[in-house]
Amino acid sequence: MAGVEIRQIVKRFGDVEVIHGINLDIRDGEFVVFVGPSGCGKSTLLRMIAGLESTTGGDILIGDTRVNELPPRARDIAMVFQDYALYPHKSVFENMAFGLRLRKTPEADIQARVKEAAAILRIDHLLERKPRQLSGGQRQRVAMGRSIVRNPKCFLFDEPLSNLDAQLRNEMRTEIKKLHARLGKTIIYVTHDQVEAMTLADRIAVLSGGRVMQYATPDEIYHRPAAKFVAGFTGSPAMNFLRGTLAAGAERFDAGTVQIVLPKSLSSAARARVGQAVELGIRPEDIAIAGDLQNYATATVAASVVVLEPLGAETLVTLRIGEQEVVCRTRPDVSAQPGQTVEARLRLDKLHLFDATNGVALRS
Amino acid sequence: MKSWLDRLRDPSERTLGVILLSPAFALLALIVVYPIGKLFYNSFFDMRLSGGQGSKWIGWQNYADMIKDGAFWDATWNTVLITLITVPGALVVGLALALLANLPFKRQWPVRLALLLPWALPLAFAGLIWAWFFHTEYGFINDVWVRMGGEPRMWLLSPVSAFAAICIAIIWKSSSFMALILLAGLQMIPKSLYEAAEVDGASRWQQFWQITVPMLMPSIVVALIFRTITALQTFDIPYTMTKGGPGNATETLAMYIHKTTIDYLDVGFGSTLAVGMFVLSMILTAAYLRHISRQESA
Ligand SMILES: Nc1ncnc2c1ncn2[C@@H]1O[C@H](COP(=O)(O)OP(=O)(O)OP(=O)(O)O)[C@@H](O)[C@H]1O
Ligand SMILES: [Mg+2]
Repeated sequence: MAGVEIRQIVKRFGDVEVIHGINLDIRDGEFVVFVGPSGCGKSTLLRMIAGLESTTGGDILIGDTRVNELPPRARDIAMVFQDYALYPHKSVFENMAFGLRLRKTPEADIQARVKEAAAILRIDHLLERKPRQLSGGQRQRVAMGRSIVRNPKCFLFDEPLSNLDAQLRNEMRTEIKKLHARLGKTIIYVTHDQVEAMTLADRIAVLSGGRVMQYATPDEIYHRPAAKFVAGFTGSPAMNFLRGTLAAGAERFDAGTVQIVLPKSLSSAARARVGQAVELGIRPEDIAIAGDLQNYATATVAASVVVLEPLGAETLVTLRIGEQEVVCRTRPDVSAQPGQTVEARLRLDKLHLFDATNGVALRS
Repeated sequence: MKSWLDRLRDPSERTLGVILLSPAFALLALIVVYPIGKLFYNSFFDMRLSGGQGSKWIGWQNYADMIKDGAFWDATWNTVLITLITVPGALVVGLALALLANLPFKRQWPVRLALLLPWALPLAFAGLIWAWFFHTEYGFINDVWVRMGGEPRMWLLSPVSAFAAICIAIIWKSSSFMALILLAGLQMIPKSLYEAAEVDGASRWQQFWQITVPMLMPSIVVALIFRTITALQTFDIPYTMTKGGPGNATETLAMYIHKTTIDYLDVGFGSTLAVGMFVLSMILTAAYLRHISRQESA
């Protein structure tokens, strides 16, 4: 068993508290992604798990052992750094072999394990080179190779792809996913890219300001966001929000002249907030202006087209509803023109309500 | 074929380069090439300013004299010995100081200041401080020595201890310069390398040998070159501490040249000795440079 358990973790730098009591429980073999905006404490949390940063409070357990006081080398983890941190004066082979040599692994064993890892990562032809003779993507592979040869209990990745160009990033993302399937080891992965988080993770921890906003599967995060922050962080373009109030016993959402009758489940969850300010959330793909979404229960509102952004496979249409703007994802052959008035249909089962003051999702 | 005036008006990149560099070249020629050339020239003359008989071309005679001159070889040996002892000595002490100064102190400047101080002191002043340290009656060393139950000793009057005292003074003086260069090098090493090594399982000691030393090598080589060249020119510290004594046990090549030229006014022979020292410096510098270029191509 080599899960990771984080209990009430607190981190202070001097007088500044940057992590405020986080609880997470990561199962053995699970791929968990920490995602959040810059400065939310993702790296700090990861570095505390690695032992590169001390903990101010709380406990960290790796595979049932409390590791708070253990140095990194005694935690049986491997880490891939954002800048790769390859040893510039050592060859690729020696970079990968370093950890094994320090553990006095027999030479034949070192040879076998480095060669195996190099073959998996397709860098076997680069073993004699120095890091400065490699491309960014190759360095990235070496950094991963260095972590897998040691066969640790747990892998920690801190934004490993952020220094690569878009195409290489997609490629390496797939590689990492394959690697996880192959090794079956626990991986904790830090990124600020929601696409990486959604595609890689078994579970995502969305962080903001040193707190966990939601810890759930990508599907859950996307479809049942626990807070406005989470909803606004996932999806591209992000979820639309309409500010308004709850009226008529929470059965109706009013935003100026726009009125939307809420489905039963939502209005019952929001009953306590009648008359209060809320935000209605809806994703771009759950709004239709052409003949889409015919098979779903929808609410219809009047809208005017502001701008069209054709992306090839789809077109993004910015609509004005009342005083506010939303983005809608449509088929590329949509016949709308800027300035035109259209009927926008919002899928009722995909509406989200958030408390306007603290951003918490209202649901049953 | 364009006239040079035309070229000046619309210079190609190459011509422009030559034009822009020429003042610097002229200055270099004036302050480097001319004195060295003059030195070589003088070394072929019998030029004794004490006799008042003018200078006389004597070909290689001065060089023949130099090779037969025991005092020249003694001074050369002393210089080389000082270099062999104080350069590695200053490297070790300087590295230790640099590592110390690189520790994450709350306030960096007192540490840096303490590092800079010996470097900022004039050489002759450093020599005087250490001469006092080793003084037979008033010196700090003898004070400690006597308290520990020893007999007061005349440190600077016995060849071996005088030599050792001079080496200690030079190491003290020059290790702060070493430390400054090495500190700059240390700060260039990315922190993540140490973190990666720590995760890989390296102890502090292993991190030092596997990360710090190899990453610091370029700075070490530069510091060694500078230090070696200045060590070969050692003058002030032995001059103020012992004046080359006892006898000429601590006389360096630079001191011997000084004595020959300034005290004995023998400019011709003095120039020849200076050429000898120049050649010695060039050999060592060339050796270092070869080492560097080999490292770079490796
Ligand atoms: N050594 C430190 N001393 C003081 N404050 C620090 C230190 N390291 C990080 N912080 C602070 O802690 C907070 C979290 O930093 P952290 O590096 O964990 O953010 P992050 O989520 O990884 O951001 P990014 O996406 O930019 O890498 C930030 O506000 C940062 O300023
Ligand atoms: Mg970070």
